[in-house]
Amino acid sequence: MGEILRLSNVSKTFAGVRALQGITFDLKEGEVHCLCGENGAGKSTLIKVLSGAHQPDIGGEIWFEGRKIDLTPHLALGLGIQTIYQEHIVFDSLSVMENIFMGLEREKGIFLDRKEMRRQTVEVLEYLKSDLRPEMVMGDLGSGQQKIVEIAKGLVFKRKVIILDEPTASFSISEIDNLLEIIKTVKKSGIGIIYISHHLDEVFRVGDRVTVLRDGRNVSHYDIGGLTKSQLIKDMVGRDPSTFYKRESVPIGEVLFEARNLSGNGVRNISFKLHRGEVLGFSGMTGSGRSELMELLFGGARLDSGEVRIGDRPVRHRTPKAAIRNKMCFITEDRQNTGLFIEQTIAQNIVVANMVNTRNFISSPARDLKVAEGFIQKLSIRAKNARVRAMNLSGGNQQKVVLAKWFNTNGDIFIFDEPTRGIDVNSKQEIYQLMVGLLKQGKAIIMVSSDMPEVISMSDRVIVMKGGEMVAEIGKDRISEEHILTHSIGEKAQ
Amino acid sequence: MSDQASTKTEKAPWVSPFKRFENFTVLTIFVSFVIIIVLLQLIMTGGTKYPTFISPVNILNIMQQVGVPGIVAVGMTMVMISGGIDLSVGMLASLVSIVTALGISKWHLGVVPSILVGISTAVVLETLMGFIISRVKVEPFIITLGGMITFQGIALLLCNSREVIMNGELNFIKTNLIAGTKDPVTGLNLVIPPYVLVFLLLALLVGLLLKYTKYGRRIYAVGNNSNAAFLAGINVRAMRLSVYALMGLLVGIGSVMLLARINVGIITLGQGLEIDTIAMVVIGGTALKGGKGNVLGTLIGVFFLGSIGNAMNLLRLPSEVQFVAKGLVIIVAVSAGYVSSTFSEFLSRRKGLAAVSGDASKGG
Repeated sequence: MGEILRLSNVSKTFAGVRALQGITFDLKEGEVHCLCGENGAGKSTLIKVLSGAHQPDIGGEIWFEGRKIDLTPHLALGLGIQTIYQEHIVFDSLSVMENIFMGLEREKGIFLDRKEMRRQTVEVLEYLKSDLRPEMVMGDLGSGQQKIVEIAKGLVFKRKVIILDEPTASFSISEIDNLLEIIKTVKKSGIGIIYISHHLDEVFRVGDRVTVLRDGRNVSHYDIGGLTKSQLIKDMVGRDPSTFYKRESVPIGEVLFEARNLSGNGVRNISFKLHRGEVLGFSGMTGSGRSELMELLFGGARLDSGEVRIGDRPVRHRTPKAAIRNKMCFITEDRQNTGLFIEQTIAQNIVVANMVNTRNFISSPARDLKVAEGFIQKLSIRAKNARVRAMNLSGGNQQKVVLAKWFNTNGDIFIFDEPTRGIDVNSKQEIYQLMVGLLKQGKAIIMVSSDMPEVISMSDRVIVMKGGEMVAEIGKDRISEEHILTHSIGEKAQ
Repeated sequence: MSDQASTKTEKAPWVSPFKRFENFTVLTIFVSFVIIIVLLQLIMTGGTKYPTFISPVNILNIMQQVGVPGIVAVGMTMVMISGGIDLSVGMLASLVSIVTALGISKWHLGVVPSILVGISTAVVLETLMGFIISRVKVEPFIITLGGMITFQGIALLLCNSREVIMNGELNFIKTNLIAGTKDPVTGLNLVIPPYVLVFLLLALLVGLLLKYTKYGRRIYAVGNNSNAAFLAGINVRAMRLSVYALMGLLVGIGSVMLLARINVGIITLGQGLEIDTIAMVVIGGTALKGGKGNVLGTLIGVFFLGSIGNAMNLLRLPSEVQFVAKGLVIIVAVSAGYVSSTFSEFLSRRKGLAAVSGDASKGG
């Protein structure tokens, strides 16, 4: 087996932040080389370097079939390196065949050579033992089938390297089995595959070698034979807990919110109790159903079965409006699109959620400004005044505006989805302090986070989710990175 | 396409014709419309006369009425599949007619050069708009709205807000190619002027272009997902630009035909043409957001919209009713597409669920 691709000493720095540091990596013909690591370990950056979207810092080298090269997206495709991204980039109104050949059509005279394109498509689909047909419309296919079409494209054009980034993120179990079989077939044709997945099961089922990344560095290389899951997990974690944020502890009160056997929106059988003064962390990998659960709690999706109780009273949130009336607050993951009206002013953003609770038919800009100025003081939002547009604020200050919006509704139950994503260290601490402030007032927090140190330092309890279900509940004294990761990607608890 | 047929026999699951053939829904509605009109005529005459609505002379009559909007609608199909729209076609048609009429009767350029000047005007102006649309992130709706108002102004300036009268120099475009042929049903003279043939020929050419060439399929790709098209190595800007340039050519040809029919260059010639053509295209099933549609559907839309007015006249209904009927047809045709697709999705999901539970019962 010859070597196709080699990276040596590749680093990548963004605005002073080291995303990758001294990475070495190689890929041979006909092998599946898996990349493992937590969220933020540098996997995505590495893929972007491999697909030519990012150029490595000076000193890093990329070798392709024995030649040193400077990759660009165009050159990467020309050399036969195909990246299949997590989200589908497809033409859903066109056929499978057209999706494969778009941009590289076969022609006969001035017309398309549909017969030839069809022949090649059928040949590859048969080779992959897929039941797809060339004339099927892409938009009618499931995400598993769409992924197979993208892989088929790689085979039609005789690519040498296929990079699969989290290919199974939204797959059913049978789709995963199907894809893994196809990858084994593809591998036999001599194509080198780089496989990125959170799911260690998949890594062990198709992988030949594994490279583990942590905080932008290579931690280890393994051949799959003899490797154990616990070894892999141990390599992926390993931060020093003494560097984590130290949170003030707050006495925990009575039950404020309770979920009983909730199902719907892709999650099943969720039950938990939330007490006053408590942070309940939700951990799990992307696609484990955490955000879907939060949407369900907040009335953004339909509840199929189960019951939600606030205090000792059963409630039903058919719309977010009902949830807000019941004193719930939802700090969403995506500030720019669902957290803020980005082109409006701080004041307009702060008063908007509380409109549900006020009976004022006529809004008063003067009153809104006064309210907003109060929050700017209280949360030390760094803005000249409340007339500044949200789009002109930094990430941390935008997040504070989102918080102010919910503080203004005087809610009791706060859902934080990724509270500090894309926020600088100082603002992070301020957000944490504001969260503790809420707890001191006897409010309660449900926190979804992919930031492991954040989960560990902020949570009183952690619920781990996987595939839309709760797989573990971990008490304060047992919260550790390894413990959480074992549940969220590994097998059942010991 | 023998190869396609061969695999379909392999294991093609039954697919509703509403889903398999894109134009099936609108065709069904159109055919029902024709049947209703014919029945009404039969009832009104007590079944004693052949229904004039489907007499050859009337069908050719409709063809003459829809020839010009038809040419523009074919171009609009292309523009809309690419994800764009063109509101300027009406005023551009007026402008081109006025330029051509001025060329013939005032500037004395000769007939052929005047026609060429007219058509080039359309191509240049559309290309200019296409250039802006492909380079600037402003909705084509806005750019072409600006174009529409600008062209109206230019046209009025050129003709001093008056009509430009000609002496029938363009009559060759509307001569009857089958003079002397009588309709066996009504005994009236049958008329097929050259511009009807030009319309059908252009529709055929654009239809082939969209379906069977690389360029055509790339238009769909750009309209469907311009980011994916860019990543597939397609020059999205060039595609957008060229689609508008082609649109210019079609509008230019259509405008000369329009001028030939009316024989006077006047600002009202193209009025409302953009609304009619967009209506024809959407009735034909082209998606406003792009990526979907075809010329065959547009042709159905063209004849459908064109025959409504005609049918109302035959039924001796006041012309005001036409607007109501046209409006309703647009609403019904477009929502029917949505309803039928939701319905077939619902059916297939039910089938899918049945299959899944069947598997489960087998497994467990």
